[in-house]
Amino acid sequence: MIRRIIMAIVAAAVVALVSLFILSWRPAIAQIKQPNALNFSAESIAHGEVLAAEGHCASCHTRPGGQPFAGGYGLSTPFGIIYGTNITPDPNTGIGRWSLTAFTRAMREGVARDGSHLYPAFPYYAYTKLTDTDIGALYAYVMTRTAVNATVPANTVPFPLNLRFFEEGWKILFFRRGGYSADTSKSQEWNRGAYLAEALSDCTGCHTPRNPLGAEETKRAYAGALVEGWIAPALTQANPSPLPWTQEELFSYLRTGVSPLHGATDATMTQVIRGALALPIVPDSDVQAIALYFRDMERPGAAPSNTEAIATEALASSKLGSEQEYDPDANLYAAACMSCHYNAGPVPLNPRPELALISDLRLYEPTNFIQVVLRGVSTTDGAQGLMMPAYASSLTDSEVARLAAYLRRTRTNLPPWGDVEDKVAAIRRQLPKPK
Amino acid sequence: MPSLSLHGLRSNYDPSRRSFLIAMFEVGAILGFARSSFGSIAFPTAETYPPSSTGELFEPTIWYGIDRKGTVTVNIIRAEMGQHVGTALARIVAEELDADWSKVKIEMVDTDPKWPVMMTGASWSVWQSFPVLSRAGAAGRIALIEEGAKLLGVGPPSCTARNGAVLADGRSIQYGDIVARGNLRRLYTPEQLQKMPIKAPGERRLIGRNTLALDLPSKVNGEGRYGLDSAVDGMIYARPKIPPTRYDSRVVAIDDSAAKRVPGYIQSLALDDPSGTAPGWVMVYAKNFTAASRAADLVKVTWKSGEAANVSEQDLQKRAAELIADPKGGSLFVDDPGVDAAFASAKHKIERTYITSTVMHFALEPINALAFEKNGVFEIHTGNQWQTLALPVLAKALGRSQDKIVMRTYLLGGGFGRRLDFDYAVPMALAAKAVGQPVKTVCTRADDMRFDCPRSTSRQVLRMAWGEGGQITAMEHHAAAGWPTAVIAPSFMMKTANGEGALYDPFSIQGADHWYTVGAQRVRALCNDLAQRTFRPGWLRSVGSGWVNWAVESFMDEAALEAGADPVTFRLRLLNGAGRNAGSAPNSVGGAHRQAAVLTRLAEKVGSGSTMPKDVGLGIASTFGQERGMPTWIACAARVRVDRHNGHVFVEKLTLVVDAGTIIQPDGAESQVEGAALWGLSMALHEGSEFVKGQPKDTNLDTYTPLRMGDVPEIEVEFLQSSEAPVGLGEPATTAIAPAIGNAIFAATGARVRDLPIRPESILHALAQSA
Amino acid sequence: MVELNVNGHTVSVHSQPDAPLLWVIRDELGLTGTKFGCGVGMCGACTVHVEGRATRSCITPVGAVSGAKITTIEGLDPEGRHPLQTAWLELQVPQCGYCQSGMIMQAATLLKDYPNPTDQDINAAMAGSLCRCMTYVRIRRAIKLAAARMRGGTAHA
Repeated sequence: MIRRIIMAIVAAAVVALVSLFILSWRPAIAQIKQPNALNFSAESIAHGEVLAAEGHCASCHTRPGGQPFAGGYGLSTPFGIIYGTNITPDPNTGIGRWSLTAFTRAMREGVARDGSHLYPAFPYYAYTKLTDTDIGALYAYVMTRTAVNATVPANTVPFPLNLRFFEEGWKILFFRRGGYSADTSKSQEWNRGAYLAEALSDCTGCHTPRNPLGAEETKRAYAGALVEGWIAPALTQANPSPLPWTQEELFSYLRTGVSPLHGATDATMTQVIRGALALPIVPDSDVQAIALYFRDMERPGAAPSNTEAIATEALASSKLGSEQEYDPDANLYAAACMSCHYNAGPVPLNPRPELALISDLRLYEPTNFIQVVLRGVSTTDGAQGLMMPAYASSLTDSEVARLAAYLRRTRTNLPPWGDVEDKVAAIRRQLPKPK
Repeated sequence: MPSLSLHGLRSNYDPSRRSFLIAMFEVGAILGFARSSFGSIAFPTAETYPPSSTGELFEPTIWYGIDRKGTVTVNIIRAEMGQHVGTALARIVAEELDADWSKVKIEMVDTDPKWPVMMTGASWSVWQSFPVLSRAGAAGRIALIEEGAKLLGVGPPSCTARNGAVLADGRSIQYGDIVARGNLRRLYTPEQLQKMPIKAPGERRLIGRNTLALDLPSKVNGEGRYGLDSAVDGMIYARPKIPPTRYDSRVVAIDDSAAKRVPGYIQSLALDDPSGTAPGWVMVYAKNFTAASRAADLVKVTWKSGEAANVSEQDLQKRAAELIADPKGGSLFVDDPGVDAAFASAKHKIERTYITSTVMHFALEPINALAFEKNGVFEIHTGNQWQTLALPVLAKALGRSQDKIVMRTYLLGGGFGRRLDFDYAVPMALAAKAVGQPVKTVCTRADDMRFDCPRSTSRQVLRMAWGEGGQITAMEHHAAAGWPTAVIAPSFMMKTANGEGALYDPFSIQGADHWYTVGAQRVRALCNDLAQRTFRPGWLRSVGSGWVNWAVESFMDEAALEAGADPVTFRLRLLNGAGRNAGSAPNSVGGAHRQAAVLTRLAEKVGSGSTMPKDVGLGIASTFGQERGMPTWIACAARVRVDRHNGHVFVEKLTLVVDAGTIIQPDGAESQVEGAALWGLSMALHEGSEFVKGQPKDTNLDTYTPLRMGDVPEIEVEFLQSSEAPVGLGEPATTAIAPAIGNAIFAATGARVRDLPIRPESILHALAQSA
Repeated sequence: MVELNVNGHTVSVHSQPDAPLLWVIRDELGLTGTKFGCGVGMCGACTVHVEGRATRSCITPVGAVSGAKITTIEGLDPEGRHPLQTAWLELQVPQCGYCQSGMIMQAATLLKDYPNPTDQDINAAMAGSLCRCMTYVRIRRAIKLAAARMRGGTAHA
């Protein structure tokens, strides 16, 4: 009896696999001669440049220190390291032989010119929403870059996950092809922001949690997620910031990396701000549009009227521990942190990140707080030129944990985090080792 | 422009050039020292010190020289650690010499056999040097007047000296010109020098007036050179592995395999120390300090340690209690007859026990030294407060004679008594000897704290007896602590008055010989032998007087309460100057009356008896500074507010009244009192460590919390005008702060605390007890 | 090799990128005005300016400030007469002086942010700067004196 059941299951699995294999098949699209750069209009190329920036193509397709778009950057995923491909117009190692049709299919469907499926590490599920014009402009841009002959390392995705036809299954489950439909109840600027965020910048790629198969949990869009060891906060009403993000503040943050009432960028987000959305390529209007889109997402409707009161209350905590203090945690904070983090009222100063207002102390986990304390903040992270030293060598796990608990308790009304010292130890183990 | 220079070259002496020399003399003779071993500064006599000068420099004494431009260079043998000692001493010389202050330089000299004792501590510098330097200056002035008169063609009585020149009826000749053209050959005998008249206070032009301290400009622009800044071509760096215990750890094995990965790492060596000062040290050498520091973290040393590795603060206190409880043993520092009889027949009596915790020096510059051999002479470059004590030990450790060793002088990034000990200099010198090249040894903060000579924990029991008519008939004081002097400078240990019993450490009991008239007094000083075996007790700013007065001045308030008297009135009654408390010339003229004067003035200022808001209290304390032989009269009032819920103390204001005799540099005096007072406050409320497994548990600022900017209360200092002998100011103000605060807490809440530092838990406990 | 801009000069240093900036400044560049007190960023003796802002150099790897503008006490003012420095001398602030380079550099940033600082501002912004000689009373006075002069445009006494 059992033998029969097993046989039946095996048979079903074989059928499913074969079906999947058949379903997954895509034809190869014929190679073309490498297009002539003069075929593309200057306007189209310039437009493509902006889109390529906003779509942060370089963040995966350019290796740090490597040639632009020549690939080789290894993205760590739970399934192994996936290397960004060479998308320069090199005919042999790049996409120099790809027609616009092939390029479009890759962007819209996640299928390479030769018919193989692309890992969803390549966010085709976002790019699928791009307009034809925009895809055309991206093609123009990419095809007019310097061709670089460079092969990329093999991906380290283990068997059998490296069988590409499995991606079809993933797509059946999770991928919906299609363009962007405007929301007519919203302004043109909002729709522009939505388009950029959803189709190009793929903000959801970091800010939406993923299921165990690596797909975004669409029902929890923008609810926040863990990315490369840092929490990308919720961008919805679940965002823990005590003050609402106005469009102005979001614009400031996305443009400069810092918003005094909310904090500064770090880790992966810095690449977005200093790379994908940066001047001089990306115009203010696009960044304003994205800012509006997310302001609306975080707090639809009018801003609350008590923002001043919230800010004042937050700043009142800034001086705690500076005078005749007996709490050892407060003393530790005063000795190690207060000089830079103190703010006199009524508003925080740009170079003085206000701990009572930034997100690190308000997230559901102390992850970001621990990361910043252990690693510091470089001159290119956060506010340009401003740095915070790394405290990994000067504070023990217990001390970082005490500071976390102290600040959580005195700067927020949120419940204490749990197991903080263990979490510090875990993050410390992930720090780059000294040579 | 006055200036400061270090490592001055000694001028070469040319006997052919005519000059004069003031014969040197025993300080003991001048100052009337009762105890000749005590800080005896023997100056070389004319026989031992060849009189001479070059064409460039005219040196009437070893203390200063004048060049042909009239620049006066004053040689300073004291360590500069923030007390601007060079300026004070130079003012003393310049005053009597009638020098042009704008032409005065100071030179912080390196060690040399010709210098008398080089020691800076105990608040002694100005007090010791004033008589010597003022007379040296005066003698120089007289010689210059005589020679200047000749050059002006008049008789000396027609001349005066003023501002670097000799004047006679409208004509003048600069000192520099006298040096260039004159023929100075005046000699003075010790007796003549002793009788040398110095200016009356009313004639002074420099002393008592403020001037910019000469060491200051280099301290705001990064130019000041501290030991840590020393450098020589070809030097390598080292960082020690500090053994787990001070004395009884032996190196068994060194494993540097992990350290070899560190770029720049050279090697690790166990040091052999013939002097026995720093056993168990391993030096980790590298090409730069970062490498040495990281490598040292990776070097694994196995030591075999003795019992000290298990000793805790509780063990030390337990031993102290045992020693006090045993009526035998210890040394009787004060031993009046009739004490036992008075207690036996007392109408009532009280007994109280006071404790102070281990305290760390934490000078901001961690211990360090650069050492190397050059031209047959071993040089040690480091800031140090007692070079004279160090040199013989260095000689023993290095296996060479003292005249082949020189300690080069640097600014100290904080002394506070830590640098009185030579202990760090020995292994750092050996580190260089071991590898035969210049080695700069730098300790991290954790190393520095682990190798500190902390102020020992102390335990004191005080008793007072009242007889007929509410008269105090006797007072007893037993104090047990580790004794720094026994270990670091045994020659300074004292015999008791009656010559019986063990030698005692004067720096661990002073303060108990107070100026209150309390009938028969007994003071017993006990050495905590467990402390001596476990660590190296050190002298820490205000030394014994600091922790002894915590007990004495808290106890006086408790006694006043017992007697139903107000604390100020109670003390003033006892400061009647009877008998030995009358004081004596030259240093304690006025005795107890001067202590009464500062206390009276303080009470006037703060208005005792005024009503305070709830949980706010005013407490006073009064001390005589460091020692009866050179008392600095201090009175302090602390106004505090106590939070009964969490036991937190907020110090609102400290008021001090000080009588320090003649003040050389008013501005410097004020800053020393402020600094010393805040040290007292820091030790009262914010500092205290404890021994855990043979080591103080604190190794950095994460857990050791000296006073910071926001902890500073309002502070007011008043000096009583006085023309009495100058005494010390580096330490005295420290002694009165803690008891004033303890007394204020009692005034505010009725809770009496007897442990230092005063911790919120103690206050809560005491509040519960008094409820 | 790491390239730094120190007090207006571009210099190349051989120290490893993870060497603390403090020791590079002191030992490799010979600028010993910046001091070592605790090594864990809690005493302020090592304070320099990175892009004009007070930073603890003992816990800043030199690689992290490659290309950044670094100012030490020696470079705070070309003649050593920054209003803080002149106020420090006028009021005779330093005792042993070891903390004062860091203290002045920290105070410079305080005054940049708060040109008219209250006692609370001073307490908080100087909380990480330890003076073991406890010259705090005069430090506070000198900060206020320098601040008043800088506001009034009279930089020197």
